[in-house]
Amino acid sequence: MKMTLLFSLPVLCLGAALALGLRSNRASAAAAIISQAVATVLVLASVVPLLRGSGPLEVTWQWPQPIDRMAFRIDALDAFFLAWSLPMTLLGTIYAFGYLRPYFNRGRHGGPHFALLNLISISFLLIFSAQHALVFLLGWEIAVVAAWLLIIWDYRNQKVRFAGFNYLVSTHVGLFVLVAAFMLLHSKTNSMDFRTFGEFLAQQSPMRGTIFLLLGVAFALKSGFFPFHTWLPRAHSAAPAHVSALLSGVISTSVGLFGFLRFTLLMVRPDEWMGWTVLAFGTLSAFFGVLYSSTQRDLKRLLGYSSTENVGIAAMGFGMGYLGWTWGVPALAVCGFAGGLLHILNHAFFKCLLFYAAGSVYRATHTIDLERLGGLAKRLPRTAILFLVGGLAISGLPPLNGFISEFMIYSGLLSGRSPSSQGNVVLIATAAVFAFVGAVSALSMTRAFGLAFLGSPREPGLQVAEEAPGFMLGPMVLHALGAITLGLAPEVGFGLTRAVLKLFPIVGSTNVDLAPLGNVVWACRLLAALLLAAGVVGWRQGRRARRSVTWGCGYTAASSRMQYTGSSFAEHFARIFDSFLPTVRRERLPDELFPQHPGYLATHHVDAVERRMFEVLGQGEEFVAQASDRIPERPRFAFAAGLIALIAIGVLVFGGSGR
Amino acid sequence: MMRARLANVAALVVMPFLLVGVINRVKSLWSGRKGPPIFQLAYDVRRLLRKSPVYSTTTTLVFRIAPYVLLVTSIGSATVAPLLGSTPLAAFPFDFVWFAYLWGLGRVAIMLAALDTGSAFEGMGAAREATFSTLIEPALFLVAGALCLLSGTHTLHEALAPHLQGGAAVVVRTAAIVALMIVLQVETARMPIDDPSTHLELTMVHEVMVLDHSGSDLAAIQVGSAIKFLVGSSIVATLLNPWAGSSTVHAGIMNLALTIAIAIVIGTVESVIARLKLRTVPQYIGVALVSGIVALLATGWRVGGAQ
Repeated sequence: MKMTLLFSLPVLCLGAALALGLRSNRASAAAAIISQAVATVLVLASVVPLLRGSGPLEVTWQWPQPIDRMAFRIDALDAFFLAWSLPMTLLGTIYAFGYLRPYFNRGRHGGPHFALLNLISISFLLIFSAQHALVFLLGWEIAVVAAWLLIIWDYRNQKVRFAGFNYLVSTHVGLFVLVAAFMLLHSKTNSMDFRTFGEFLAQQSPMRGTIFLLLGVAFALKSGFFPFHTWLPRAHSAAPAHVSALLSGVISTSVGLFGFLRFTLLMVRPDEWMGWTVLAFGTLSAFFGVLYSSTQRDLKRLLGYSSTENVGIAAMGFGMGYLGWTWGVPALAVCGFAGGLLHILNHAFFKCLLFYAAGSVYRATHTIDLERLGGLAKRLPRTAILFLVGGLAISGLPPLNGFISEFMIYSGLLSGRSPSSQGNVVLIATAAVFAFVGAVSALSMTRAFGLAFLGSPREPGLQVAEEAPGFMLGPMVLHALGAITLGLAPEVGFGLTRAVLKLFPIVGSTNVDLAPLGNVVWACRLLAALLLAAGVVGWRQGRRARRSVTWGCGYTAASSRMQYTGSSFAEHFARIFDSFLPTVRRERLPDELFPQHPGYLATHHVDAVERRMFEVLGQGEEFVAQASDRIPERPRFAFAAGLIALIAIGVLVFGGSGR
Repeated sequence: MMRARLANVAALVVMPFLLVGVINRVKSLWSGRKGPPIFQLAYDVRRLLRKSPVYSTTTTLVFRIAPYVLLVTSIGSATVAPLLGSTPLAAFPFDFVWFAYLWGLGRVAIMLAALDTGSAFEGMGAAREATFSTLIEPALFLVAGALCLLSGTHTLHEALAPHLQGGAAVVVRTAAIVALMIVLQVETARMPIDDPSTHLELTMVHEVMVLDHSGSDLAAIQVGSAIKFLVGSSIVATLLNPWAGSSTVHAGIMNLALTIAIAIVIGTVESVIARLKLRTVPQYIGVALVSGIVALLATGWRVGGAQ
């Protein structure tokens, strides 16, 4: 029973091969879905006992040189991630079949796409079980390349190709950093095995800090932390909805943060500065992510930025967990790590749901521009309800799941359990930033839902096709039910994290209970019941009520173009934070008393980091171009440059071998 | 214990109506009018409940549910607020987080209802409300965190009660009162942030969002807002109350008297000064933020000194 997991790998490979080989799209999809379903069952059968507290699974394969010995090991942390990443990929594949059908009807072959979705599952199996750096890198690379190919589904569009390329480059920059970290570890331990890495990382050494930072950057790039997030909104807005959903909810978030936790656990006991670093980065990411998400007009870009926010929130939890760990305060470590882990899980539930709903909007209207949408709740009622559930959950509002994990993190930040008063003050200040993030997130989601689904269409000629088919609604409903269940019965979520928490030495044998959460859970359930009652009252009232037009405040010729738009909704807020939110304004205002030409005004909020990055790159290019122009003019420069390069290579080659 | 609960429930039922009446009476007296009866809101609610609502054809179910969500969240927040300066109806660790997020839920519901009407004015009101709320939330958490740290407790009513003496504690509590007064003004749409009695939609914040509600929906919103006012002012009153924390009769009466006093202050402020320009509102809320930071730093200093 325990090792059924091993069989999932050939099943997935077979499914991928079938999906590639079969001619009809229906058969390809069926091959991918069935193989993933079988693999999910096999994986769950072996990881569920682990989450209940049984010992880790281990397999070792002897391999010829240079790999030598390849070890796979699955402990509770891997089990936690495997337990939901594979089922969610399965749901994404089912959704894909519904979402891509218009393309199939036009004769596009979807086989490779489904095969790539299987590859994503395979990469999860590798990443979450690897004990060997090369296997980890292999899984990492499979995920990156497969995700890239999935993103550029609509490859005829130049924007999509650019976004895909941007993603590919960014993740490979991350890969270089990761390889650098592994090489450093290899040079110190002469092994590629994680256990040997762990023996080295457990000791205090200056190299430990460097490796921690390198790994941190690599995983931060993967998860889209600020300021490494620039690939993320582009990729999310270009990819098909299910790919954005998987990329945001499962692939990048979970893999990045998983890697982070995996190496944290190897460190036995982190230093205090590491905790502060993680906390600071998490807070920054949450702050800037939510700030950018509040002004976007592209619905999927908005959701992409909100991923940066949510990984930031999870990292805030982890940072606090680190601090509790170094201070020797188990309660703080439990709140931090449990809250962070649970937030990753919750995020996967509501973020995928939101992306799926955005996909359903795109499928019906062929646009996700908030300035053009409006009034979709009447045309797509099911999508609207599902989006609303996801939006309320992601804003951390009770009684849904986002609130539970955020409450857990708050309860650590505000507990005053730090041994020093400075520590407490900083943690409380962090909680205040977190409160700001929560409120802006609510603004952002109110804006997204209110503009897209409520009111009337901002573009009068907007064509709205019919509601999404069952293949798309099914996965969405399951995700929504997950968000509701984890909110009303958080025991389920905490049950999953309990075994993981036991892995942390600081938590170790202390009893992990949810006593602080006890009452708020009941409050949430009561609130849910009351909200349901409110819903029934509102619904009953609506049936017998009179109907009229919206009160136009005395103006009788109101048109739907006069509604508040995405830009105007965010304008007041963006003006307060204009130093972080650069605005690009294009306008031609009407002139004279009787304007001859219609005027226009368009505002865009661009990413400050990305703009700066391109500026620097542009300057660098200019500098290099100038320098290389001058070299042929002055042979002395060329000679000097060549000499320096030779010396550098010589030092690297001979200096390295001398050690 | 049972008696304290009954008293809390009684306060929750009567006080919202009374406070709104007091504010309106104070405003009338300042402007030289006799003013409506103290319990005018109750008569209004009775009248509205008899009327059937009218819904815009643009709206959806969201619009119809929102008023009741606001009512539910307001009552929910009242159960953890120390209406009588001592143990509330329900209390649990970090209930103020729950409290803040409940208000957030009610706010989101009303903003969505406003956007649901498709009216430019209501969208404008929603945008303003959302913007101000993002600024006020950190102030609330700074104060709550500072008071928790100062008192070494985790529930709202315990943190508000006077535990410590000394200069730093006075600074913390004063700063907290300033910050919470501003939170109260913003959250309950009072001057100088919002003018509830204006007749020009362009200048409204909260009122403009509920322009289209009618009948029992409007009644739910009015009662919900009144309860929010009671909750906010009773929190400030508990901070001011020297006997807060003890569930005695005089502590309770003191708290109610202070709550009414706050209503009088709010009414007076509303009569003598004009609403701030919208551009300057963030700066005014900045005062709350700074007070929150002062409270936190003073707490850190006090707690650090105690060790």
